Amino acid sequence: MPLITIDDQPIEVETGTLIIQAADRLGIEVPRFCYHPDLRPEGNCRMCLVEVQGYPRPTVACTTPVVDGMVVRTPHAGDQARRAVRGVLEFLLINHPLDCPICDQAGECSLQDFYMHPDYGLHRSQVDPQEKVRKRKAIDLGPMIVLDSERCVLCSRCVRFSAEVTGTAELQFVNRGNQVELKAFEDRALTDPYAGNLADICPVGALTSKDFRFKRRVWHLARTDSICAGCSTGCNLRIDHFQGTIERLVPRRNPAVNQSWLCDEGRMSFHALGAAPRLTKPRAQGTGDAVNWDDAVATAHGGLHAIRRPGQPSRLAALASTSATNETLLLFWRYVSETFTAPLLDCRLGQEDRWVDEREDTLLRRRDKHPNTRGALLLGLAADPAGGLRPMVAQAQAGAIDAALILYYPPLVGAEDPATLEALATLVRAVPFSVVLTTHEGEWGRNATLALPIAAWSEEEGTYTNYAGVVQYAGKAVAPPGEARAAAAVLGGLLGQAGRYPGGSTVQARFDELAAAVPAYAGLTIAGLASRQASVYPPEGRLPYGQEGFAGH
Amino acid sequence: MERILTLHADQGDQPRLAVARERGAYDGLRKALGLTRHQIIAEVTASGLRGRGGAGFPTGRKWDFIRPQPGQPVYLLCNADESEPGTFKDRYLMERDPHLVLEGLCIAAYAIGAHDVFVYLRGEYASVGSILAAALAEAGEAGILGATLLDSPYELRINLQLGAGAYICGEETGLISSLEGKRGYPRVRPPFPAVHGFGQQPTVVNNVETLANLPWIILHGGEAFATLGTERSTGTKLISVCGAVNRPGVYEVEMGYPLRDFLAREAGGILDGRALKALIPGGTSVPILTAREAEDVTLDFESMQHAGTMLGSGGMIVFDQTVAMPGALATIANFYAHESCGECTPCREGTGWFAWIIARVLAGEGRPNDLEQLLRICANVEGRTICGLGDAAVQPVRSFITKFRAEFEALLPADQDTRPDWQRHGHGPRAARHGPLGQEAAWAEPVAGPSSARL
Repeated sequence: MPLITIDDQPIEVETGTLIIQAADRLGIEVPRFCYHPDLRPEGNCRMCLVEVQGYPRPTVACTTPVVDGMVVRTPHAGDQARRAVRGVLEFLLINHPLDCPICDQAGECSLQDFYMHPDYGLHRSQVDPQEKVRKRKAIDLGPMIVLDSERCVLCSRCVRFSAEVTGTAELQFVNRGNQVELKAFEDRALTDPYAGNLADICPVGALTSKDFRFKRRVWHLARTDSICAGCSTGCNLRIDHFQGTIERLVPRRNPAVNQSWLCDEGRMSFHALGAAPRLTKPRAQGTGDAVNWDDAVATAHGGLHAIRRPGQPSRLAALASTSATNETLLLFWRYVSETFTAPLLDCRLGQEDRWVDEREDTLLRRRDKHPNTRGALLLGLAADPAGGLRPMVAQAQAGAIDAALILYYPPLVGAEDPATLEALATLVRAVPFSVVLTTHEGEWGRNATLALPIAAWSEEEGTYTNYAGVVQYAGKAVAPPGEARAAAAVLGGLLGQAGRYPGGSTVQARFDELAAAVPAYAGLTIAGLASRQASVYPPEGRLPYGQEGFAGH
Repeated sequence: MERILTLHADQGDQPRLAVARERGAYDGLRKALGLTRHQIIAEVTASGLRGRGGAGFPTGRKWDFIRPQPGQPVYLLCNADESEPGTFKDRYLMERDPHLVLEGLCIAAYAIGAHDVFVYLRGEYASVGSILAAALAEAGEAGILGATLLDSPYELRINLQLGAGAYICGEETGLISSLEGKRGYPRVRPPFPAVHGFGQQPTVVNNVETLANLPWIILHGGEAFATLGTERSTGTKLISVCGAVNRPGVYEVEMGYPLRDFLAREAGGILDGRALKALIPGGTSVPILTAREAEDVTLDFESMQHAGTMLGSGGMIVFDQTVAMPGALATIANFYAHESCGECTPCREGTGWFAWIIARVLAGEGRPNDLEQLLRICANVEGRTICGLGDAAVQPVRSFITKFRAEFEALLPADQDTRPDWQRHGHGPRAARHGPLGQEAAWAEPVAGPSSARL
């Protein structure tokens, strides 16, 4: 394996590693625009020029593989490299518009960050703003993206993404020289379902998110690492929020799951949380009034427990959710299996166990629009081949069910299936006693004996297991509304009512229980999951965006 | 002098196949087909032939880089994009002796094992294309280069492709990109075209004039070729001379011929008996020579390099005393700004910036530090680009300003203030350095320190 030094630091890397990749692993920040770890290197921006001993001219770090014995100096430690990069940066800024005050990219802009860098920035402009080349601004490219071609630094990341990743080739350069402009053919709207990634990969404010446009300055955003709950792929993302409101979702890089990408549906999935009114207080039927939590949990357990007959299978329909976290599902399974005898226990609304692996396209999306089907299956929540919501409904209509415990999260991607809602409503109506744990108000749950408000995906921390069995930790970004609580906490409360020890209340403790209960998780810990997987950047060190692992790199 | 390239070019009817054959056309090809590929490459290497497009790379060595995997196709691309300003010698050959060029093409293709040849002809040369196409058709009908070459089983397909008006498509990899149907963007090297070229296959790109030398080399031998010219510049060179001379045109000279003699004899002396002021020997991409510097150079690669310039394409542009150098530089700078493809930052922005500054100086609105600015931009462009166009744009700017500085300085106003306009007129950090009470505004200076300073 070649051994090289970069800025006097040695590193051994695999053959074929690019200089820029080796520098990233050392935590040495080589500035760049056109290089992106998930796109083919192009070497056209010239920002990553470094000195290589013995080479007469500055070398492009993103297209040059390391050679054993190479001695490399980046702009941080080499004069020639510093002068080269200063020159390139100055060139990029001569025609760049003075848009910072109105540009959404401010605060996470490579141009801003490189300019502020003492090693190669902070030059004095020699160009009159009147001389700058003017190009078209604020071009609507469809529901996800706005193009400002004047801000474009022509790094060609978007052109390559559109050609290599989505294969749609919707963006291209036109004209020549400093008149080159990025353009969509006939300014047509981008129709591919991954267009949102263009705003992430654009290092400046040329391609920006229409959904996020002018909403919030990025330095006000709090950030929580999470996992997309839109389908069983489990793309890694980050929830950017401000004072309890989610402002946007951006991808985190994970080469094993989603590379640097999110599909548009997943990216927009947080909007679904506000689409309908939330359930904010525990509610008892009959009175229709709110009840307090303690009474609600006590009543819930009391009613469920009352249906037990010694020595006979419990006539309980317990429907878990493939959208719930592993920790929630563990507690659900524990409560149901420890309190009742051979109840109907399942997690399927339809055929999620068949859909969990099915692709919907050649990139990221899967047919199963639930994030934790695999997790539920691994916990044994679909053990009966003849189980599921529809069989439960049939049994209930035949009068064979005395109580129902339903955990339900509306899907974040795609519309709620009316047939599913109808089935849920039927189940609720057909049983004498029902406890429903759900996030939103819904017609189907109106007749439930007790409706308990729970936290949605972004309001509860926990783990999800994707289709391939990768267990991933999702953080809690915002507080649940009103009196809603994490479903895991509610189920812990029910376990307590049943006189069972609900287990540790931290996510670490719950995951340890999980790892002990599920052979597939043996040896895993939350701490091991929460640390970034295969991040290109180390935890320390300054990054152009100041954000570790931001997939925009 | 031995005429290798222009022996029959000025004899009428040379484009007609029957006439050309009478004068020996395709005899070289016939002989080459009786040799092995390695023998031909050895002959060409022994000849010392160097590329005639401007770079002067040894042709035999370039061919030798071709080492295809079994079953891998090899491509020969003929660079007929001739766009270097001042250069019109390839046109001359293609118009007047197209069969010489075609014969050279065939020999080269056979030597490197290429069965597909593309002639990339600049779009502005459409009329030249007609002549080439007619010659191809005639030769095809005559069975010289139909499906196979002469009586041999060697298959060869020659395709004529017209460009659409871009200097950058004369750059080796820009040409390849354009031929592949993409924007004519050059490519980062390595990998080089000999390994991954057209369609990612081994590719050789040769200039028209280079190829035109091959029939003679095959017929008379590489050693004979090497006896002509100088030690490191063998054979002859076509010089296309234009500008302030009495007889502009294309002339073949032996390498090493004194420039002074060329101007006086072949070019017929400076126009109207004026004095020579300056001269660009090989296309605007090479540094300009003053009249004094031009006195002692000879027309070959080494002598030009020694004089701080290059023989380049041989596109000679002659300036007399009546030419104002700033205006000439503006024309040249505008060319590069117009032709820069825009792919890489230094050339894209640098050539545009050159053009602005020079235009502003010409208009009498130059700033006192504009010349330093231009030289600084030169340093920031040179050596940092994907292809040679950036370097090419730098040479005229730097050499004109360095060697004719007084003419530029005469256009600058006497004003000593070097700040850009917007800083002089009360906007910007310098003007706002002082707060309303006259105190120093601490934030007016850029902060040197960790870039973690966030608002």
